[in-house]
Amino acid sequence: MNISGELIAFFILSVSAIGGAVFMMNLTRVMHMALALAFTFFSIAGVFILLDAPFLAVTQILIYTGAVSILMIFGIMLTKHKDEENPPSFDIKKLWSLIGVGAFFAVVLWIIYQSPFFTSEETVTDFSVKMLGKSIFQQYMIPFEVTSILLLVALIGAAVLAKREEKRK
Amino acid sequence: MQQVTEIDWDILAPELIIMIACALLVILDLVLPSMISRRWIGLFSLVAVVTAGVWIVTQFGHSPVALLENTYRLTPVTLIWKLILLSGTFLVLLISLGEDQEEFAPNSGEYYYLLLAAVLGGMFMVSSADLITLYVGLELFSLSSYVLVGIRKRRGDSNEAAWKYVVLGGMSSAFILYGMSFLYGLSGSTNLANIQQYIVKAQGTYDWIIYLSFFLMIVGFGFKLASAPFHTWVPDVYQGAATPITSFLSVVSKSLAFALLFIMIGVFDGIDEGWESIFLPTLMIMAALSMIIGNTAALRQKNMKRLMAYSSIAQAGYILIPIATLNKLYFPSTFFYLFVYLFMTIGAFAVIMLVMRQEKNEDMKAFAGLHQRSPWLALAMTIFLISLAGIPLTAGFFGKMLIIMGALGMEHLWLIVIMVITTIVSYYYYFSIIRQMYFRKANTTRRIRTSWPIGIAISMSAIATIGFGVFPEWILNLVESLLFK
Repeated sequence: MNISGELIAFFILSVSAIGGAVFMMNLTRVMHMALALAFTFFSIAGVFILLDAPFLAVTQILIYTGAVSILMIFGIMLTKHKDEENPPSFDIKKLWSLIGVGAFFAVVLWIIYQSPFFTSEETVTDFSVKMLGKSIFQQYMIPFEVTSILLLVALIGAAVLAKREEKRK
Repeated sequence: MQQVTEIDWDILAPELIIMIACALLVILDLVLPSMISRRWIGLFSLVAVVTAGVWIVTQFGHSPVALLENTYRLTPVTLIWKLILLSGTFLVLLISLGEDQEEFAPNSGEYYYLLLAAVLGGMFMVSSADLITLYVGLELFSLSSYVLVGIRKRRGDSNEAAWKYVVLGGMSSAFILYGMSFLYGLSGSTNLANIQQYIVKAQGTYDWIIYLSFFLMIVGFGFKLASAPFHTWVPDVYQGAATPITSFLSVVSKSLAFALLFIMIGVFDGIDEGWESIFLPTLMIMAALSMIIGNTAALRQKNMKRLMAYSSIAQAGYILIPIATLNKLYFPSTFFYLFVYLFMTIGAFAVIMLVMRQEKNEDMKAFAGLHQRSPWLALAMTIFLISLAGIPLTAGFFGKMLIIMGALGMEHLWLIVIMVITTIVSYYYYFSIIRQMYFRKANTTRRIRTSWPIGIAISMSAIATIGFGVFPEWILNLVESLLFK
């Protein structure tokens, strides 16, 4: 395997993505968790740049690193909670779920490895934001519009569940 | 590529009606002064649902159309699905309008437009042949129903139900999406027709990926169908949700899950080897488990809503049989049973709601002596129960007969044996309710108060349950004339 700049960059980015995720699970303060998660999102954006998908990378930074992380931090700030979580305890239930998840992971990995992927290199057609726009607003116009209703429903639902009850007369 | 401006809006009209009504009601709810009862919003949504339903009936016989590269299509099958969804929503809206309890949600406008948004998502889902529309529609439905389950937020059991539903529902959606992603990765297309063609070519090399994707999706579908072994959420959520929403989940949500199963089964259709030896047996095992677990667990239930929840798990098992055996009759028999299931389930829930409201008691004993107090209600409940049990002269009997006849043709005798035995087991708990109504003495002689919308819903359901039992050819002819023209 020849070492190129791309490989080194990929190595650094993937280590920081995985590292962020591991830290997110192990940290005890909620705010630190949110920051670790933002770090993971950011590294994934870097991977997208390596894959020659600059638009996806920018979107990833804007939406995940920016919006989602900020949203989480706001959520943390606006809700009352104990800042520190109890250190994780270990019991038999957790052992079973660990075994289950591990088995599932092994099966998926085995299936992916025994399937003959990467046989030939496909040529990637030129990508432009214009094409993306056409595909969203022409071919996928219906799901796009339905998504807007989905967001409306999410908004209304959040308002319904969170609003304070009025005093009954 | 087809342009958006070239779309024939006539085809999309039912969805557009619901969408516009939903948007209008959101604004109306904001503008209307608070003295005006939000029941008007419910009435308006009822009108919208009826209009959309009538429009769909006028579309019968329309030649199949696909819009925007199959992200939306109109075929006879999609029309039937939409008719089922809208009829279910219509009855649910009626019984919601009749509920006047203070703490209950229909006093708020949100309840109605969330219901409309849910059915809108369902309608888009059944009429899509593209993974993206399919998933977005499914999520619109699920998201709205999560909120609807939790809308009685001052009640602890309702909060618990909503919490369980949202966590498990989110997980099942994730499983479905993961399964879909493998299909997309294999074929490079989200279009179902392309995926199907690709899968046929890819078998032999990518078999395991195809199986993995199938099983991931089946886990998600099993949850949405409320079929065993993915049924553990059902009793808690059904018990915690408001009764109209419980009936919505058990009818509309289940029908939608079956629509999804039908669509995805169509994609895997071309596979020779896995089809007979893996896919269909999986569905058969799910059907058998649902029938056994649902019917035996229902025996021990005293709470009416939990009993109906287990009964609905068992019914999911019956409805799974036609698709699992994939016999010649599978389309007509599934549609027939879903139509019939719609009326008898919502009818039964409407009576349960009335009795529970007056007695403030969810126990089966609340039904004691209903015969002396409100003979008509007791009669209607008896009709629904014997139809759910599958006694002759009711639609439920004919539905079960169709299922058995279809499965007999495919020589899956063990499944039929399980179905017959569990049906007999189910007689015990259905009849114990009837026994309460007719052979136990009532504690009070007060009549059960009924309001007109619930009265209409119950009598419509009762007439349909008997009518389709005596004249089953009405539905069957309709389905046949649409499908095999």
